[in-house]
Amino acid sequence: MIEALKNTVVAELEKIVGGKFVSTNQADLYIYSYDLTPAESNWPDVVVLPQNLEELREIVALANREKVPVTPYIAGGNVGGLTIPLEGGIIIDLKRMNRIIEVNDTDMYALVEPGVTFGQLKAYLDNNHPTLRYTYAFSPPSTGIASNAIVQGLDNLSFRYGAASAWVCGLEALLATGEVVKIGSGAASKTWQAIAPFPELDGLFLGWQGTTGIVTKMAVNLWPKHAYETAVTLMPMDLEGAYAIFQAIIRTRIPDDLIGTSFQLNKVGEAAYTHLKAPIYPAPPVDPKDPEFVITAEITGNTQKELDAKVEALAEAVKEKCGDHKYLGPDTMPSTTAAFPMQALGVLSSGGGLMWVGTYGPMSTWLETVKRGCELQDKYNIARTCYTRMMNEGHFAGLRWMLPYDKEDPELVQIIKDLCNEQLDLVLETGYIPYKTPVWAVRKLEERVGPGQELN
Amino acid sequence: MSLSDLKEWLYGCTHCGTCKEVLNIFAPACPSGEMYRLESYYPSGKMLIARGVTSGALTLDDEVLERIYACTGCLSCEQQCGVYHHQHIFEVVQALRTEAVTHGYLNPAYMIMVDSLKKDDNVFGKPKAERGDWAKEIEIKDASQENVEIIYHAGCMLSFDPELWNIPQSAINIMKATGADVGIMGMEESCCGGRAYEIGYIGEFTKYAEHCIETFNSLGASTVLTSCSDGYSTFKKLYPNTGIEMKFEPLHMVEYIDRLISDGKLKFTKKLPMKVTYHDPCHLGRHLGDGGVYDAPRKILQSIPGIELVEMVRSRENAWCCGAGAGVSQANPELALWTANERLKEARATGASALVTACPWCVRNFRDTVKEYGEDIKIYDISEIVKKAL
Repeated sequence: MIEALKNTVVAELEKIVGGKFVSTNQADLYIYSYDLTPAESNWPDVVVLPQNLEELREIVALANREKVPVTPYIAGGNVGGLTIPLEGGIIIDLKRMNRIIEVNDTDMYALVEPGVTFGQLKAYLDNNHPTLRYTYAFSPPSTGIASNAIVQGLDNLSFRYGAASAWVCGLEALLATGEVVKIGSGAASKTWQAIAPFPELDGLFLGWQGTTGIVTKMAVNLWPKHAYETAVTLMPMDLEGAYAIFQAIIRTRIPDDLIGTSFQLNKVGEAAYTHLKAPIYPAPPVDPKDPEFVITAEITGNTQKELDAKVEALAEAVKEKCGDHKYLGPDTMPSTTAAFPMQALGVLSSGGGLMWVGTYGPMSTWLETVKRGCELQDKYNIARTCYTRMMNEGHFAGLRWMLPYDKEDPELVQIIKDLCNEQLDLVLETGYIPYKTPVWAVRKLEERVGPGQELN
Repeated sequence: MSLSDLKEWLYGCTHCGTCKEVLNIFAPACPSGEMYRLESYYPSGKMLIARGVTSGALTLDDEVLERIYACTGCLSCEQQCGVYHHQHIFEVVQALRTEAVTHGYLNPAYMIMVDSLKKDDNVFGKPKAERGDWAKEIEIKDASQENVEIIYHAGCMLSFDPELWNIPQSAINIMKATGADVGIMGMEESCCGGRAYEIGYIGEFTKYAEHCIETFNSLGASTVLTSCSDGYSTFKKLYPNTGIEMKFEPLHMVEYIDRLISDGKLKFTKKLPMKVTYHDPCHLGRHLGDGGVYDAPRKILQSIPGIELVEMVRSRENAWCCGAGAGVSQANPELALWTANERLKEARATGASALVTACPWCVRNFRDTVKEYGEDIKIYDISEIVKKAL
C-alpha cells in the first residue's frame, strides 16, 4: 500500500475502532505475515480488531472504497496459509467478536460470533448446558468454531454427521459491498434451527475459504451429551487389514467417530507428552512386530448396558469380516475426547512447523492412496504419519499425512515441500481433493483443470 | 541468558494459542494478551518476535520493545503450553529485554529504577537510610550487629511503602509471639535484585545476588525469612544460578507460619468471621515450579477460627496474575491495574468480602486497583490476618 493511502486508511480505522485496536507495529505485522506452514509469507499493512458488526461493516466499506485487500483472521492455525495476506492490506482480527449470542437448549443449536473458540464454547456448555455438546476439532482450543465450519473441518463427530460445514444451521455474512445477508430460519424468525426450507445459500460461504464474505454470526448444531462413552482400538499389522476393519465398522453405523493413524505417528508423538521434541525425520527404525495402523472408534451410550452392547456388536463385526487379517485388539480405553485440548500436542512439538496435504476422497481408493502416500514418506525417510477419519458414516474419508517439522532447518523444510508436492500429485490422481487448500496446491489444481480453466 | 543461548527453544512455538487460556477451564491465562488482544501481546506472539529478532526480520526498537515489556512474567503461559519449549517462554522474553539493555535501548521507566538501585540499593528512588523505618516502633535485634537464628528480609516494597508497614510489623509480631530469635538488617538490607533480573539488567542482578548471599552467609543465620514472594523466588530460584553456596534456608512467611501451626507453637485465640478467597502470587507458585507453595497459605487460613475460604475459578497453578510483576506496575500501570481488576472481579464472584494474598507487590497493586476501579473488596496480606487472630 502506498504510504499516503496507508496513512489515510490507518486514520480511518482508528476512527472506527479506536487507536488501541489498530496496529502498524512491526511486531504485529511480522506475526501476521506467516503461519506454521512453509507457505509464502507477506506482511500486512495494518491490523485491526473490530468488536461488532457495525465496526466490521465500516472497515469493509473503507477497504472497498480504497480498494485495499482484507484478510479475516481468528487464530491463524488453518494449516493452509489461508490467513497470510499475500497482497498486503488489512488483517481483520476477529477475536474481539467473541460473543456466544444464544444457546437454544430445546432446539439444540448455538449462535456464535466468529471469534468464539472451541475452548470457549466447551466451557460455556459445560457450565450452562451440561447435557449438550459440540465437537472438538483435531486442533488447539483456540480454533474458531465458525472458521472450522467455513473450511469444512473434520471433527470428532464427523463419522456420524460429516464435515463441520454440514452442521451449520444458519449464518449471517457481511459482503464486500457492506451488505449483510442472513441465511436459514434465522432470516425469517427468531430461531436458527435449520437452513431448510430455504435454498441452501450457506453454500456461498462454506468451502470458499473466506473469499466470498465475512461470516459474522453462525448457528451450529449441538447434540445430546451421552453419559457413557468409551473408545475401542484395533491395531492392524498392515494397511489391507486397516481397510478391512474400517469397512467392517462403517457398516455397523455404531461409532460417533472413527479415525485411524499410522502407528509410527503415535510412537513418535509419545515424546511430545513428556515435553520432548518429536521429530519425524529421519524416520525412526521400524520394529517389524509393530502394527501398521491404530484405529479408534468412539462410542457413546445412554446406559452402560447400551454402551457394552455397542462395543460387543462392533467387535463381532470386525471378527466376522476381518478374520483373514492380523490385528491387535479390540481393546477399550477411556474416550479420546478426554484428551482435548492437548490432543494435537504430538504434531505441534517438532520445531514450530506443521504441514500436510489435507484431502477428502472416496473409500474406494483409500487403500491405494494411503499405501502410496506412506511409500512416499518412506522414500523421503520420514516416519509414516497418515491420519484418516471416516466421514458421514463412511460416505467419504478425510485423509492426510501429518508433517510436523523444524522451521529452523531449511533442508527439512525443502524435503517437506517436495514430499507434499508428490503427495498432492498422488491424491489428485486417486480422487482425493484438497481442502483448506493452500495457494500452492490451488495452483496445482488449476493446472489439472486445464489452461484457461482457473478456479475462481 | 542471551537470545543466542536460547536458540534451542525459539522454534518450539507453532503459534497454536494453547497458552492463551487455562487448560480445561478455558478462561483467559495471559494478562497482556487479554487486555490488548493483538497477537504480539500473547506469549506465542512474543516467541515469534524473538524469532524475528534473531533472524533479522525485526529490530529491537521502541515499537517492538513495548510489546516485550508488556508482560507481567506470571508464567501462566508456561503452565498451559505443553510443547518442549514451555518452560523457557519467559526466559526468552527476559532475554529480549537483556538484549535491549545490552544494545542501549533503555526504557525510561526502568532507568529511574536502575539509577535508584545504583544509588540507594532499592527500586523506588528512596534514601537508603530510610530502609529500616518500618521497624522504628518495634523492639527487634539488628542482625547486622548481633547473631540471630532468623534474618527477616523485608525487601524494597515493604521497606519503603508506609501503607504496607503493617505487613512486616505483623510478621515480626507473630515471630516474637512464638519466641523466635529474629533480627532485621535495617538500613544495611539491600534489594534482592529480582526486579533488575526481570527487566533485563543481569549485571545489577548478579551484583545484588552475590552481595546478599555473601552477607547472609557471613552473618551465620540459619534462615532468611521474607514476606515478599518476589524476593523469595529470587532467593530460591535465581540465587542458586550464581554458583555461590547458600549457607542459609530461604523461607517464605507462609511456610514459616504453617510450620508453627503444625508444630503447635501458634495458637489462635480470636475468631474472625470472614469469607475470604486466596490469591496465589505467581512468584510463590508457578515461579517455583514443582516447589510452588499452594497448600501452606490455605492450611493457615483454614485453621483460623471463623474464616471461610472459598476458591476462585483460576487458582493455584492456574491463578490469574495480579498484574504487578516483571516491572509492569512501574512501566505500564494501565496494564497492571486492569489485570488486577480482572482478578478482583473473579474474587468478588466467589462471594468473598476479602482477598488474602502473600506478596506485597500483589497487595499494593490490588489496593491501588480498588481505589481506581472501586471493586468492593478488602485486601490483606496473610500475616495481617494471622496477627488479628492471635
